[in-house]
Amino acid sequence: MYKLILLIFAGLLAACSSAPVVRQPLAIEQAGAADKDARKALRDGELLRAQHDFATALALQQSLDDTAGSATTMINLATVAHQLNDDRAALAWLDRILLEKEAIYPQQARLTAAFRKAVILADQARLGDADKALRFADKLCDRKCALNFGIDALRARLLLLNGDAQGALALAQAVGKQDGAGKAEQANALRIVAAAEDKLQRPTEALQHYQAALEMDKALALSERIGEDLNGLARASAQLGRDQEAAEYSRRAVLVNESRRQSDPVP
Amino acid sequence: MTLFDDKDERFKNLFGKTAVFVLLAALGMGLAFVLVGVKKGAFTAKSPIYFVADSGQDLSEGMPVKFSGFKIGKLDTLALDEQGRVQVEVDIESKYLRLIRQDAVMSLKKEGVIGDGILEISRGTEGKPALAAGGRVRFERASGLEQAVIEVKNRIMPILDDIHQTLHDPDGDVRQTLKNLRELSIEMRGTRERLDRVLGSLDTNLNNQVGPLLLSLRKSAANAETVTGKLDYELPVLLKKADSSMESLRAATETINHAVQRSAPQLPGMIDETRDTLGKTRKLIGDTQQAVDSLSTHWPLKSDTPPPDPGPVRMDSHD
Repeated sequence: MYKLILLIFAGLLAACSSAPVVRQPLAIEQAGAADKDARKALRDGELLRAQHDFATALALQQSLDDTAGSATTMINLATVAHQLNDDRAALAWLDRILLEKEAIYPQQARLTAAFRKAVILADQARLGDADKALRFADKLCDRKCALNFGIDALRARLLLLNGDAQGALALAQAVGKQDGAGKAEQANALRIVAAAEDKLQRPTEALQHYQAALEMDKALALSERIGEDLNGLARASAQLGRDQEAAEYSRRAVLVNESRRQSDPVP
Repeated sequence: MTLFDDKDERFKNLFGKTAVFVLLAALGMGLAFVLVGVKKGAFTAKSPIYFVADSGQDLSEGMPVKFSGFKIGKLDTLALDEQGRVQVEVDIESKYLRLIRQDAVMSLKKEGVIGDGILEISRGTEGKPALAAGGRVRFERASGLEQAVIEVKNRIMPILDDIHQTLHDPDGDVRQTLKNLRELSIEMRGTRERLDRVLGSLDTNLNNQVGPLLLSLRKSAANAETVTGKLDYELPVLLKKADSSMESLRAATETINHAVQRSAPQLPGMIDETRDTLGKTRKLIGDTQQAVDSLSTHWPLKSDTPPPDPGPVRMDSHD
């Protein structure tokens, strides 16, 4: 007991002897708290609450001339809007960074904004605009940034959407072999490889790569992509004349997509 | 001769009668010889076969030759050749030759343990050609009783020598074991004396202590009987009281039921109040969480909390 009291005293003495951290101004703390709340809400699937909290944080950051923080928050707002299927608002948020005439936002933020704009445009099948945004991102990245693999994967996807299956296949295969690409981008690359092979009438290879992508997507628990992989497997199996297998994959895809819709967080 | 003829009729043709008698006797004797000869195999066709023995010991002319327990021939001649080996000829009935193969072995055996010696020929290997008349076979002497005794002696004598040596070795295990046993028996005698003393002491203790213990146990049993008697008397009373308590419980349940029925109209309001209270509690928990979060950003806890994630939220090329 005596030793414990001595230990507590020593701890308190050490705490008092060190200088306390200077408290941030209230507005900065509030902005940080709002950002933190928004991220937590996004993790919990409460998209509208996340949107509200990010907007609060953005207002505070802009009032404090925190351009870097503002840019990050605007990208986050665009991402939340995209998840809410409000792509128009998402593109508007990204354009606020990209169309700024003065270079007030950091290059990394502009690069990220350009890449995400390209992704959203590709989803909307606006391939020309997507390609333009992607080229801008690639230019800013100069093959040195962390988004390099994502840019290549998206380029492969655009090539495939433009009908260049051979080019998409070569590019996606290169991305899939890069260890630094990350599991998600590797899975994306594999899916593009499989889709390109599907278009090139190589169902055996397509089946194999869809299977590999499915395994990776399962490990990442990405429900929507699992559904895509299963549909791809069904197509490839049907091309191979394995109707029974194709029916099974299709049924599994239906179940996955239905369950995903049911379990989607209410915005 | 005419004289007898003249006087007695029975002597008529005496010569003829005598001649017939002698002839019948000779004929009977001849027939007997023939039958004996047939029985002895004198008229059976025989074939000679030969073997070479290392010595003529236990071999003799006329010695029977057996095959599968049946006599099929006999030893005919024994002769010493120029190398000093014994050349033996046996006669085998020709009809049995086809049963004997060329690699058959002639063995000298005893009939029983101490019986006469016989020659026994084996069948040989199936598939080999049959032995021809005048052929040669291999000879061996089967180990007899004497040889078996010698073998046993040769095996047992070394063992007996070992045992003798082991028993008479002063440092050997047997002598040492006997010595230990002797010492053990002396110690056992002492142990027994001590054990006798302990048993005597135990007997005394049992007499002094177990007796009172049994007496106490008897008293306890008597007390238990008394308690049982009391229970017999009091248990019905207790059961009656339990019935009364159950009745009271039933009445209390009815009262509660009435009270619930009376307060039923007020329940929705109470539920609303409860819901409100729960909401306030939840808000309080949220505020507490907020307070904790806020506290975690201040000194001295701030240094232990992870910094907020500055980067944008995750989105890849396929989102």
